[in-house]
Amino acid sequence: MPQNPTTIVDELGIALSNLADAATGAFTPTLRLGVTGLSRSGKTIFITALVHNLLTGGRLPGFAPLAEGRFIGAKLAEYPDATIPRFAYEQHLEALSGKTPTWPESTRRISQLRIVLKFQSKNWYSGMTGPSTLNLDIVDYPGEWLLDLPLLGLSFAEWSAEALERARRPGSGKEAGPFLDLLGSIDPHKDANDPDAERLAAAFTDYLRRSREHGALSTLPPGRFLLPGDLEGSPALTFAPLPPPQQAVRSNSLHAMLEHRYEAYKDLVVRPFFRDHFARLDRQIVLVDTLRALNAGPAAVADLETALTAVLGCFRQGETNPLLRPFMRKIDRILFAATKADHVHHTSHDRLEAILNRLVANAAKRARFAGAEARPIALAGIRATREGTIVEAGETLPTIIGTPIAGEKLDGVTYDGKTEIALFPGDLPERPDSLFEDGTPVALNFLRFTPPQKLDRNANGDVVLPHIRFDRALDYLLGDWLA
Amino acid sequence: MKRPVARPTSNEPQSVEASRVPRAFAPAKVEIAEPEFDVETDETLVAPAPRRTGWVGRLAWTAGGILVSAGLGLAADRLVRDLFAANEWLGWLGLGVLAVFLLALLLLAAREIVALRRLRVLDALKREAALATADNDAGKARRVVDSLLALYAGRPDLAQTRQTVADNLPHLFDGDAMIALTERSLMAPLDARAKALTAASARRVALVTAVSPRALVDIAFVIYESIRLAGAIAALYGARPGLFGFWRLIGAVLAHLAVTGGLVLTDGVVEQLVGQGLAAKLSARLGEGVVNGLMTVRVGIAAMRVVRPLPFETQPQPVVRDFIPELTKLTGDAVK
Repeated sequence: MPQNPTTIVDELGIALSNLADAATGAFTPTLRLGVTGLSRSGKTIFITALVHNLLTGGRLPGFAPLAEGRFIGAKLAEYPDATIPRFAYEQHLEALSGKTPTWPESTRRISQLRIVLKFQSKNWYSGMTGPSTLNLDIVDYPGEWLLDLPLLGLSFAEWSAEALERARRPGSGKEAGPFLDLLGSIDPHKDANDPDAERLAAAFTDYLRRSREHGALSTLPPGRFLLPGDLEGSPALTFAPLPPPQQAVRSNSLHAMLEHRYEAYKDLVVRPFFRDHFARLDRQIVLVDTLRALNAGPAAVADLETALTAVLGCFRQGETNPLLRPFMRKIDRILFAATKADHVHHTSHDRLEAILNRLVANAAKRARFAGAEARPIALAGIRATREGTIVEAGETLPTIIGTPIAGEKLDGVTYDGKTEIALFPGDLPERPDSLFEDGTPVALNFLRFTPPQKLDRNANGDVVLPHIRFDRALDYLLGDWLA
Repeated sequence: MKRPVARPTSNEPQSVEASRVPRAFAPAKVEIAEPEFDVETDETLVAPAPRRTGWVGRLAWTAGGILVSAGLGLAADRLVRDLFAANEWLGWLGLGVLAVFLLALLLLAAREIVALRRLRVLDALKREAALATADNDAGKARRVVDSLLALYAGRPDLAQTRQTVADNLPHLFDGDAMIALTERSLMAPLDARAKALTAASARRVALVTAVSPRALVDIAFVIYESIRLAGAIAALYGARPGLFGFWRLIGAVLAHLAVTGGLVLTDGVVEQLVGQGLAAKLSARLGEGVVNGLMTVRVGIAAMRVVRPLPFETQPQPVVRDFIPELTKLTGDAVK
């Protein structure tokens, strides 16, 4: 029986916060955009591109408020929660537009940002009072932490069973071996002691870290074991999965201690994270790095699907009863985005979207059933490549042109991060299901590219970030709030 | 008793899904192409030929045409002969004038044909654009946008918007996005001007109706304004109809009015009743003025829908309601 992710006290707190928002929102409404994605799916890039494009009125022909000339401007504002660091937009932009452009480093801590948008409404009654404003709140966080959300619904026994089943799979034998050996040598029914707990936790963390390095995707919770932040070494992070008890569990046994710590982890770490940042969203974009999973093969693709379905199951999606709206906020629109669409030729975008549809099919079905709108899109927040064609042996190949990141390999060639190449990454399969089957190896190789080397500047001297369908994504997510 | 039999339905072996392996090339070898689509003009852009008349009709027309041209030719010939008979230099003059006349006639015909063609191209463009949006076909959308840019290439008032479209186009990959961009940039200013033209016409009609002494004058003025308005709107959207093109345009507008008249009427029926009732209470003549004004508005809207080269997707369809304030303002002014 899955547990409820929140307690009754949390629910009260959420309802009160919503009520407070509704009261202040009578003058300036606040739109909370949930940027969701596992680690390295492009959250930071998406947010940086979003902020920059809105601040500078970038090249967004498909973003209706801007294209219709109703969008007046945007500015960064103080975020109401003073304890959380601000999203380092300026540093990220500098990294992207500097002399040697690099992608921002992967996110290691949580950060927030509020943008105030000013626009002229199309409605005659809002339009009469002059320009309207809208606060847009965004949170950036390490994608690893997202994997913790499904834990809220799992007890220690359920989580242990799931984690050990995964560790004992034939594929993960090399990474999980030391941990399983240690687990076998420790009797969980003996008296609780810290050294054993620490050794188990260390071995488990080591297994998680190694499986992330070798496999393409980390679908292994708890996420804070990999990126602990301030909590490193604290009891709440010192536990590990245990096999089901053979006898009654004594209250002072190791098993009881670890179970207690698991519950503490959920209560003190995961639940506040969920309550403060994910329980009160209005719109959601789910970023999926399909290409990295495709590179890694069928097992990684299946893992990605499982992780996405589990994570998205935690969000509150659907229609809100108009009467309950002051107390309740639900996600009424979800955009599923296959990021890094610039790493394939535009003729393959349809197939990319088909693969994305297959990956998020369960999550999308659930969202639609709840009454939320959902849509797939292939996008690139920042476009790093150009397109070209090449004729080889009488065959015309659509290629993408860009500079691969130093260390990327193809056909035994390792690139140094300076040579520009034209890459034909292989045909995406016409039938998305074939990616889940082990039998047919799909010949695909997507290289990672450096950010665009030369960026245009607009009349004000601001950098114009090239993108693919980013304007349509914005229009879908924000357009009707700016109507 | 027959035995069960199974046979393969086709002799060809099941084709394996052709899958190309990943490869990397030095950029020097590559022919760099920013998303470039097939830009050659499509044969289907030209509207299908109208229904041909039957052979009897054709025979009658041909025979009649021969007779008339023979008569005209004979008349011209006799005229020139007569002129020569009267005086030689008068004859030469007549011959010269005849040549100039024929040349001018030829030019006129050519211009009419071009104008008719242009109307048809606008029609076909609208169809193509709707298809491109529905199928999300980038190549087709690109062709439509290119034809539109070519159509408006000589318009100084659209220089900046043309540039906007041309700048943004290479960054778009979806057919519907291209059409939406073009509609927002190119059509929106034209729509606004067409609406202003319609409103001005309607105001004039209402005013003339309110002050004119005879009903016949009203009708004549309504017809005159409607024709002028349809022509102005067609020219605005780039149709520039000639004489015959104009007949076709008026025909299309009337047909459109006949088909959608009911719809257009109902979309603003409440406002119409209110406006009419209020105005009629003030003065019967003013009420008639408002009704005639609304008639002109409907002609303007129909003309917009007929000649606009893109379907209304991102921009709102013009409705009678939009013009009510203009008309009631006028009646309000008149009452003061």
